[in-house]
Amino acid sequence: MTVLLLMAAGVLAGGLGALLGIGGGIVLVPVLVLGFGIPLEQAVPASLMCVVANSCAAAASYVENKLSDLRLGLTLELATVMGAIFGGLVAAFVAEAMVAVVFGLFTLFVSLQMLLMRRPVQEPATAANYVPGNYPLGISGSFVAGGLSALLGVGGGPLKVPLMTYGMRVPFKVASATSNLMVGVTGAASVAAYAWRGQLNLGLVAPLVVGVLAGASVGSKLMLKTPTAVLKKLFAAVLLIVAGQMLWKGGEGLWPSVWK
Amino acid sequence: MRVPEAGPPRRNAQATTVALDAEFPQELPREPITQPEALPRERRGARRLAAGERWIARVLRTGAITSGCMFVTSLALEALPRDESVHVAIDLLRKGAASMLLVTPVARLAMAGTLLGLRGEWRYAAIAAGVIGLLALAVGAGFQA
Repeated sequence: MTVLLLMAAGVLAGGLGALLGIGGGIVLVPVLVLGFGIPLEQAVPASLMCVVANSCAAAASYVENKLSDLRLGLTLELATVMGAIFGGLVAAFVAEAMVAVVFGLFTLFVSLQMLLMRRPVQEPATAANYVPGNYPLGISGSFVAGGLSALLGVGGGPLKVPLMTYGMRVPFKVASATSNLMVGVTGAASVAAYAWRGQLNLGLVAPLVVGVLAGASVGSKLMLKTPTAVLKKLFAAVLLIVAGQMLWKGGEGLWPSVWK
Repeated sequence: MRVPEAGPPRRNAQATTVALDAEFPQELPREPITQPEALPRERRGARRLAAGERWIARVLRTGAITSGCMFVTSLALEALPRDESVHVAIDLLRKGAASMLLVTPVARLAMAGTLLGLRGEWRYAAIAAGVIGLLALAVGAGFQA
């Protein structure tokens, strides 16, 4: 029964992750910790493994449909990895709670902007019909996203998709598909680091990955048919959850010192 | 067929149409202007890129499906009565599936770099090599990228 429930959680995370380009870890970690009582040290590497599975399954479809921008993905990937290494180096000197609060406020702002924006923008449907702009902003934003992923354990997707869409004028679906392509590589490096330290529970990973692969293949097909406006609203709702998680995480660390 | 403005060209003017004795041969417009191997460089590059993208999609799909099948088999083996050989098989299958899944995105990255390098876009090939190098460094040092 537990195996089936884990598979169902994987299907949900895989479907949502493939639709929105966020990997699915944001859904999976709270479900595993709160719903199944799995310790966070096991839930995080398992969810990262699911992010990799999700990326492989969904990105195959997106690359085939020319929705992923390989050049943009490679460029931002380099900045993300550099940011992640920098984040790992400065982690000891930065107050994690403060970073979480700043990130939470930023995601709250982006999600509210996406939810409240009334005028829909006409967007090209494939990666062939547009030229990304403002590379300096995209590269510096990806560096920050990489740093946050190392500092807070969140994937870069919730930051990179709005960054590409609003900062670089990349169509939402292309941004989502390109983010999906990128999170696989960073996720694989993170899982490898956890596996190196013996923190990867393969008994937990097996049913989750099976569910995620099924969910991602459905999600990647759905994404091609779903209107962009609907995807944006869904993304904004997920961002609100991320903002809540981050503000909660930051608040837990900050409030005691404020009271003192 | 007589074309209206046919005839000898006027002084200091070049004839744009000529008189023709017969109908245009039907196969003439259908003839290829150039040989297939003499396609413009951009078009050849675009074709190669499209083929490369199909290969990238195949690599990603093969990695996902193979590891998924191995995980499913390991779950099915759990239903069997537990003995040493079953336990070893489950462990091996899961380790193999996890390794397959972790190698797949890196293989995709290497393929994308090679593909763009073959197209002469060396900047992206160098970026892909840089990303792989940094990831190796990060994993070796124990950072979580």
